[in-house]
Amino acid sequence: MFTATAESFLKQAREIQEEELRRFASRVAAVLQGPELGPEAADCLQRLHLTVAATKYPRKLDGKFVELLQTLLCSPKCPEQIQLLCAAILREMSPCNDLILSCDEIQDAKLLSLVSSVLLAQGNKKGEVSAVGQRIVKVLERRVPESQSARYLLPILSNVISLSPESLTEEQTNVVSKKMADWLRYASTQQGVAQPSGGFFSSPRTRQPGPVTEIDGAIATDFFTVLSVGQYYTEDQWLNMQAFSMLRNWLLCYGAKGLKTPSSDNKSGMDRSVMAVVSTTSTPGRLLPPKDRLREKAFEYCQRLIEQSNRRPLKKDDGELQKACLIEAVTIMDVICKQDSSYVYRAVSFLKILHGRISGDATYARALLPIAQFFLNHGKMAAVDSDAIYKHLLSDIPAQLFHNPSLAFEFVQFCKDNTQLFTETSSIFRQSFPNLFKFLAWNSPPLISEFVDLLPFLLDAGTAVEIFHLLLDLPCLTAALDIQLRSAALPTSERAACDPAVKPTTCLEAFRHPQYKSMFQYLLRTKSTPEDAPERLIPLRQLLGSLASSPRVMQCAETVPVLLELFFRVVAEFADGTLINQLVVLLLQRSDQLYEVPAFKDDVYRVLSSQLVMLCRLRPVLVVELSTEILEFSGAVSNIQNKEAIFTHMVWAIGEYMSVSYDKRCTVEQINRFFETLEAMLFEITQLRPLASTPSYAPRAISVLMATLTKLAARSQDLIPRVSMFLSKMRTFVQSPAVTSVYSEEDLEEILIRATELMNLLKMPSVAQFVFTPPVDVASTRFQREVNDSLPFALRIVTRLLEPAPGFVTG
Amino acid sequence: MVRAFVLLALGGPGPPRPAPCRVLYARAFGNPPETDNPPGTGDPPRQRLRRKEQLLAVARQVATQCQLLQSSSGRPSSPQLPQLPDEPMPLQDAPGGLFQLPPGDPFPERVTVAWLSVVALAFALVCDPQENVSLAEITLRRLVPRLLASLRLLGPGADVLLRPEAADVLLDRLLPHGQMLFLNEHFLQAVDREMGIKASR
Repeated sequence: MFTATAESFLKQAREIQEEELRRFASRVAAVLQGPELGPEAADCLQRLHLTVAATKYPRKLDGKFVELLQTLLCSPKCPEQIQLLCAAILREMSPCNDLILSCDEIQDAKLLSLVSSVLLAQGNKKGEVSAVGQRIVKVLERRVPESQSARYLLPILSNVISLSPESLTEEQTNVVSKKMADWLRYASTQQGVAQPSGGFFSSPRTRQPGPVTEIDGAIATDFFTVLSVGQYYTEDQWLNMQAFSMLRNWLLCYGAKGLKTPSSDNKSGMDRSVMAVVSTTSTPGRLLPPKDRLREKAFEYCQRLIEQSNRRPLKKDDGELQKACLIEAVTIMDVICKQDSSYVYRAVSFLKILHGRISGDATYARALLPIAQFFLNHGKMAAVDSDAIYKHLLSDIPAQLFHNPSLAFEFVQFCKDNTQLFTETSSIFRQSFPNLFKFLAWNSPPLISEFVDLLPFLLDAGTAVEIFHLLLDLPCLTAALDIQLRSAALPTSERAACDPAVKPTTCLEAFRHPQYKSMFQYLLRTKSTPEDAPERLIPLRQLLGSLASSPRVMQCAETVPVLLELFFRVVAEFADGTLINQLVVLLLQRSDQLYEVPAFKDDVYRVLSSQLVMLCRLRPVLVVELSTEILEFSGAVSNIQNKEAIFTHMVWAIGEYMSVSYDKRCTVEQINRFFETLEAMLFEITQLRPLASTPSYAPRAISVLMATLTKLAARSQDLIPRVSMFLSKMRTFVQSPAVTSVYSEEDLEEILIRATELMNLLKMPSVAQFVFTPPVDVASTRFQREVNDSLPFALRIVTRLLEPAPGFVTG
Repeated sequence: MVRAFVLLALGGPGPPRPAPCRVLYARAFGNPPETDNPPGTGDPPRQRLRRKEQLLAVARQVATQCQLLQSSSGRPSSPQLPQLPDEPMPLQDAPGGLFQLPPGDPFPERVTVAWLSVVALAFALVCDPQENVSLAEITLRRLVPRLLASLRLLGPGADVLLRPEAADVLLDRLLPHGQMLFLNEHFLQAVDREMGIKASR
């Protein structure tokens, strides 16, 4: 491919040294000052452009040379290609300190466009944007609309007002508004003529051009718009198209009732009040102030576009433009109604009819969003019941069109623009969140950052549990959506109902099978529906296992850890005791019920385990309150193997919070019960089986079990002898050949050191008690807070106290 | 307003060796006045550097999104397209998409990026967030085949680097000063006629 050539050119361009560049620039200058500006000049400038553009640091070009470029750019005899290249080089070097370019004297519109592109790239340090704006308006004022070149100017103006709306005075905006209203409303409805080809023998045959047509071929029924068709276009028709293209931007900048532009006219105060009083519906066009008149014409234009969008285009690609026009027209109507609420009544009935027309057509789905936004903004004022519109939008559209990435993107943006609607618990918006997640499940990479913004608004005490399950099952949802799509694509002949007695062999069969149907339906639901028995989806997850390594599912799986962490962070802010407890129980339960996507489980366990600790820290008493569930979890040996992260963190939390200082209800019996369970676990994983091979467990699981047992013993001191004895046996464990072959040397050494330190600590029970069970109000020192650091630190101090190094004095 | 147009080479891990994503042509429309920046960051070389880095950041994001989209649809790296350098090509199945970049990364305000990819290249429009995204997609689908033809992007040469004025001409007609245009097919033909491009149908 071309990449190799391009790479080598770029490399050469980057490596050109300053001296070589200087020499080249003088050579170019010589060529440019020559009599003829031919291909050699173009070639030189092209290479120069590449050299300047190829580096991130700016290239130094001689001031005189830069001036030459500017002179050449403005020179009337300069060929167009050379002008373009000069402008390109100047833009590439921008911002420049030493530009002498000015647009003040330029008459030719094309040249003005080129020069403006350079000036607008300077960053407005010297008011270049305003200067350009002033010049454009001046040229527009003087020109009659039929002139050849006015259409090069409108885009510049649009750029100017985007960069700096203050560039134009009120008088100037009025001038332009007046012209825009004329261009929008009164462009010719006759087609243009082909430019005469010229030549000696051609006779200028003036064939009468016909009228413009609609997009479906019919003769135009009303004024010219961007959806009007002709073979050739007249100048005012070009201006019509361009005026519409920049209309929304213009109205947003200057259409509001409160004037933001500096007024040049003393009468402006009076004008303002006059404009506020004038009614816009009944006054004939000419008498309205320019801003109001433009609004009126713009509104009519949008209405016409909406009517025109009903026609079936002859050219297929025009259909796409029709839809874009529809979206733009509705959006502009929304802007107009925000600026002048007297338009609301006219707009509302119109848009309701439009909605009725397109709501059943999937190809128009994207247009439903600005319509819904309109009703959200103005529906209340018009006392219109728009619930049906929102319901259709939120229930049907995501379910049918989740796989359309552009719609997905725009839909989520719509949600982000209206987050206040999601905070109402009973609102249609809030209830539709399962539908919204379908967009994320199918189109994960572009939408994950949008959902990170959106998720906090969906979460509250009522939805937290359901969203927790939903997040864990998100990749499962992706798989289910895949099946749904494939099932819908099957010809109806193959979609026969299947025999309920026969077990389905493929996912597609299962989709219609009565045993799985309700599970699919739950996963693919469109409304929030809390599920009391989440384990009923287990067979579905197993069934969908065949899709677990599909790329789309795996991409979705990667988004889950991020969302889970965010979930817990948000929930921690509002959750009460009941919810926290509920989440901990569910966390432990769901750890068994995860979709088997490669690497997914490990990532989820990692997040869940750290969040488990966070929840325990937030509400330490849960260890006592949920002792049954926690005992059950920490007493299953399989959990050490399969869910090591969660197990380890759970055991740590037991050691930390199962104490009277955190919960007065913590009894000695409870401590003993936990002790026995954990002791049995440690025994199980450290016992030496001479005949069978020794399975290996995570060393930190062993470590944390030892530490927790020690902590519990420090609180119920009858247990101390048992622990001490156990710990003393760790030396045998660590040194046995069966074990040394399975664990690494460093790990075993660490285990032994830890066991020794713990044993030493238990020799001073009161110290142990202090270290492991500080009074709660002292617990906020850094010493206690840093779980993973402080314990070894404490142990090492104690060990040093008990086994003094030479020169170290015991207390 | 469209803030910028970027034409990039996607790069990627492929044989013969991994290639970085490269900006081959970029056009920024206007330089927003930097009112909020801390003083001292406003001097011209830094502004220029910032612009270049911002566009490179966009290019990298586009390359990533393109890669992820390709892998999620299970598509292998695109086969060679038939070389019809003189005709605007239809782009029905070309991968493309939309994504947002948050404020501060890399532009001070939020921006929406619309992108389209053909073989090993991608084309992106960086838009203000309230822009008509449907029109942005249409504009891209019109720009791409004309750029492919005019700069012979599917061939072995490096016209894209050496003939920036060819790209400028196209942008000046279809996206003048960053203004997207509501051009129906006949208007588009009129534009093509003015540029000297033969009508395809």
